[in-house]
Amino acid sequence: MESLEPVAPFSVARESSFKKLQKQFLRSISARIGLILTVVIVLLAILAPILRPFDPATARDFAARLSPPSWEHWLGTDGLGRDMLSLVWYGIRISLLISLVSVGLGLIIGTLLGLVAGYFRGWWETVISWLTDILLAFPSILLAIAVATVMGAGLRSVMLAVGVVQIPIFIRLTRSMVLSLREQGFIQTVRAFGAKPGRIIFLHILPASLAPLVVQATLSIGTATLEAAGLGFLGLGAKPPTPELGTMLSDAFTNGYALSAPWTILMPGLMITLIVLAFNLLGDGLRDSLDPRANR
Amino acid sequence: MLRRLKRWQAVLFIFAAAITVTLSNCAPQSSTAPTTNGSAAAGDASTLVFGSGGDPANLEPGNVEDSNSIYVQQQIYDRLVEYKPGSTELEPGLATEWSASEDGRTWTFKLRQGVKFHDGTPFNAEAVKVNVERWWDPKSKLGFRDAGKTYAIWEGLFGGYKGSAESILQAVNVVDDSTIEFVLKEPFAAFPAAIGSGYFGIASPTAIEKAGADYGIAGSQAVGTGPYKFVEWRTGDRLLLEKNPDYWQAGLPKTEKVVFRFIKEPSARLAELRSGSIDFTVDIAPDQLKELQSDQNLKEVRRPPFNVGYLALNPSYEPLAKKEVRQAIAMSLNRKAIVDSFWSGLATSNSFFMPESLKQYQDSSQADYEYNPEKAKKMLADAGYPDGFDLEMWYMPVSRPYFPTPKPIAEAFAADLGAVGIRVKLNTKDWAAYLNDRFKKPGYQAFMMGWTGDYGDPDNFLYYHFGPGGTKDIGDWKNAQAFKLLDQARQESDDTKRAPLYSQVEKIAFDEAVRVPIVHSEPLLAQRTNISGWVPSPLANETFATIEKQ
Amino acid sequence: MLRYIARRLLDLLPVLLGISLLVFLFLQLIPGNPAVVLLGPRATPDQIAALQEQLGLNRPLPLQYLSFLGKLIRFDLGRSIISGIPITQELATRWPATFELSVAAMLFALILGVPAGILAAVKKNGWIDNLAMSSSLLGVSMPVYWLGLLLVYLFAVHLRWLPPSGRLGVGVSLQPITGFYILDSLLQLNFPAFLDVIAHLLLPAITVGTIPLAIIARITRSAMLEVLSQDYIRTARAKGLLERWVISKHALKNALLPVVTIIGLQFGTLLGGAILTETIFSWPGIGAWIYEGILARDYPVVQGGVVFVAIVFVLINLLVDVSYAFLDPRIQYK
Repeated sequence: MESLEPVAPFSVARESSFKKLQKQFLRSISARIGLILTVVIVLLAILAPILRPFDPATARDFAARLSPPSWEHWLGTDGLGRDMLSLVWYGIRISLLISLVSVGLGLIIGTLLGLVAGYFRGWWETVISWLTDILLAFPSILLAIAVATVMGAGLRSVMLAVGVVQIPIFIRLTRSMVLSLREQGFIQTVRAFGAKPGRIIFLHILPASLAPLVVQATLSIGTATLEAAGLGFLGLGAKPPTPELGTMLSDAFTNGYALSAPWTILMPGLMITLIVLAFNLLGDGLRDSLDPRANR
Repeated sequence: MLRRLKRWQAVLFIFAAAITVTLSNCAPQSSTAPTTNGSAAAGDASTLVFGSGGDPANLEPGNVEDSNSIYVQQQIYDRLVEYKPGSTELEPGLATEWSASEDGRTWTFKLRQGVKFHDGTPFNAEAVKVNVERWWDPKSKLGFRDAGKTYAIWEGLFGGYKGSAESILQAVNVVDDSTIEFVLKEPFAAFPAAIGSGYFGIASPTAIEKAGADYGIAGSQAVGTGPYKFVEWRTGDRLLLEKNPDYWQAGLPKTEKVVFRFIKEPSARLAELRSGSIDFTVDIAPDQLKELQSDQNLKEVRRPPFNVGYLALNPSYEPLAKKEVRQAIAMSLNRKAIVDSFWSGLATSNSFFMPESLKQYQDSSQADYEYNPEKAKKMLADAGYPDGFDLEMWYMPVSRPYFPTPKPIAEAFAADLGAVGIRVKLNTKDWAAYLNDRFKKPGYQAFMMGWTGDYGDPDNFLYYHFGPGGTKDIGDWKNAQAFKLLDQARQESDDTKRAPLYSQVEKIAFDEAVRVPIVHSEPLLAQRTNISGWVPSPLANETFATIEKQ
Repeated sequence: MLRYIARRLLDLLPVLLGISLLVFLFLQLIPGNPAVVLLGPRATPDQIAALQEQLGLNRPLPLQYLSFLGKLIRFDLGRSIISGIPITQELATRWPATFELSVAAMLFALILGVPAGILAAVKKNGWIDNLAMSSSLLGVSMPVYWLGLLLVYLFAVHLRWLPPSGRLGVGVSLQPITGFYILDSLLQLNFPAFLDVIAHLLLPAITVGTIPLAIIARITRSAMLEVLSQDYIRTARAKGLLERWVISKHALKNALLPVVTIIGLQFGTLLGGAILTETIFSWPGIGAWIYEGILARDYPVVQGGVVFVAIVFVLINLLVDVSYAFLDPRIQYK
């Protein structure tokens, strides 16, 4: 579930211009596929309320429950007689929303804590590292389950649960970046001129750590999507009638029609896979173009 | 790193396409030809394999209520009174005959002689007394209440424990070795039926003494007089029973061994049944009926309906306090259409709270709520809610025989209510919390719930939902008339006089619409065709002693 | 070396303490009163108050934590509220099931992943490489439980080659000795049971093992590429050694080092994946047990299960660190 290879705290070639990066990025096929897939998925998510054939919140036909794919319903219908295509389509939107918010949450909190730990060292570092070690001592899904159980089912608690899992990852990454940066010449110079810590951290260290953070965030969206779907599958996900992909799988499984009406699980699962795949490819591509070392 | 993957794209998408095509080609309805040897997996004819919905909570009689436990206990223990196969009529069990005194307050049971528990302890009146005191008397040495045991079901069915004012039982006396007597505070016509319900198996006092507070948990030895002896319980996996060679009913049990396998999800249970690794199972989802019928190795089995699934409307909340609003809600639900589509024809919907087998206590002329959204809208407007209102509705997180797929059913309710302007917010929480929290004041606003009868008496349905103490979850709703009728019916031993009392309660319940009856379902069970002799009980606790495998 | 291990063990203490604290706090946060759960819906306020007193739920939190910690050290994790079974007893019977599944999944991942990675590296950019790497990418992107459902549908329901759930068929008799059924069947020379155990293990192991498989294949490939570009390999090749010899004797040994680390790290993923997978396959392990505990608000079960899994996870990581230090002489045991 983790990214394929750890994001190394590589130093960014600051002089490389945006154009150069762009060129490098687009040379990688995987990055290109990832980019295209991501754009398509995001577009689908944005357009869901406008283009989807049926409204999953209201369009339901009990008489046509669990009907196999047909001309009217390309992907069949679910246990409520709702159009699977519309459901999955809307589900992309919800799943993407969850991942974006939760990764944003993990990114902000994790980065801040990482910056503090790396820059101030001392007690700050000891306590924050201890926290990180503890959070990492739980298999991530277990941690997410714990948070979701405390918060109760619902979109907001899923976002929070998945976000908490991301925090230690960003703490570690940021901290190691800061540790290597703070000894570098330009930071030493700024500090010698008497700049305040806040200024140094946000004006000098943070921008320099941006690239690996972006890479990790992209990869994290994939992980977060998987974890959110996992929570949904365990019944800790979105509340009805919000169509969330993991919850769709859960409904089909616990209501007993997953195996007799396989179309109810096929597309939701495939869609999760595609979303994760897209962000993994994109993240890999970004890493390759931002990290000169990886361009073997 | 991945720059050179010229062929990536193709490979990747071929992969995805392959999965899609393979799976969509696997048509689920493809019927299966009978297999000749019935698949060897479930073993030989001397072992019955039952697909249970999960681990029993405990094998200690009187201290659990879940059906997974009751099913196992049914095989290990006998009760004083048993039920005729497939019905709610009584027949002798460990007691050969029973009778009430003139005033209906003393019940005397003649016990079967020569019966021994699996551990050799003789079964007699003293043993019965020990068991009853465990459940009833908080001071019983063998009750182990200091270890957290409560025997809540005793309180549920008999009012309370020894020493409390609500306890129906006053004394339990050993008359002689084979006679036991129960003295009640007031007449209770359904006493033998209640003491014969699946919860109250008679366990060996010696075994309880030996195991102490651990009696009944995995790792301890559950000892009764029943057709099967407890062998082993591997938690999360299976439980093994073997034949009791000294069983008092000649010729039973018919099969040497019984294995309970714990498979939580209905789809997984059906898959196991189809693969032949289990022989029979319970609680199949109605949506699986077609799949079940398409497999020629399987046979659908229907449990006689003896339950009710209802939508409770809590009158302690503002809009629901008005009777008209509750009636409007009942009127806006298209119950027939919902029941037809979600239960695959395995259920009926009518105006009664009690199932059809108790119809002698109902007035058949009682009309049902008409499905009329227009009228409902008007009623809401008249009651002061022309624009509808917000309603928080709770649905169960688990499947139960009366609501096999609660979530989609709840969404269907929500859609119907939305059509008359009631904005429903659906909510759920984990099952244990769901059950507990509905009693927390002020309770849920509206919620789905249901009931399967413990024994074949209207008291068990109506008193517990509309009588004193039974309405905590609907904001202590109180209807003096209903309370009076229910108490009156309890003290009446003449059935012909009880019937009109109960049918009046049904009418009040219908009119008040605090628990809108949605459905009486026929739980769907399934077996392989080589199994015979399985007669499901409406009470969901039949014996396996009569089942054979070819 | 011993001092290194001792030091690492000492480092663990604060983490273990933190785990116990976190689990304790989480359980405090879960809505609902344990005494109410224990007594059931019919309990009176008096009964609840009495039980709270008895369970020590009225004491201040730090005291409650200390007593929790004290019990933890004595391996007293309490009893399940629902079944009354001591947690330690349940852990003892369920851990072998989870561990056996994890090991089988890891074996599956290694047996396929390492050769796939090596082949991919050696035949860089060939069709094997492309296939291996694209499947591996697909593997990490899939929800495991979904894969599990598809496998059950295909192999158990549709083709009926393998059993859909459980750990052991009913027709097979096997007396558990160690609790590890493969081991038990071999010890008793019970060949039918052995085959049956394998048949039951196959689908869940593939399900749980897919992500580690994908990651191991990738790591092996990149480690192999790294090593193959090193000078001594070039020297070996220049000496005219057979390619097969170069790879098996020179490259492989050094390339496997990072793989060892990954194995340890992936065990955590396995334990996490087990929660979802065990539910699908009715596997009588710790994952399904914790999940049911959560559903039933069985606090002692959740508490005991989570603490146990976290501790195992931490210990496995320690083991990896130590074995890594053991394997790689360049690391100093400071």
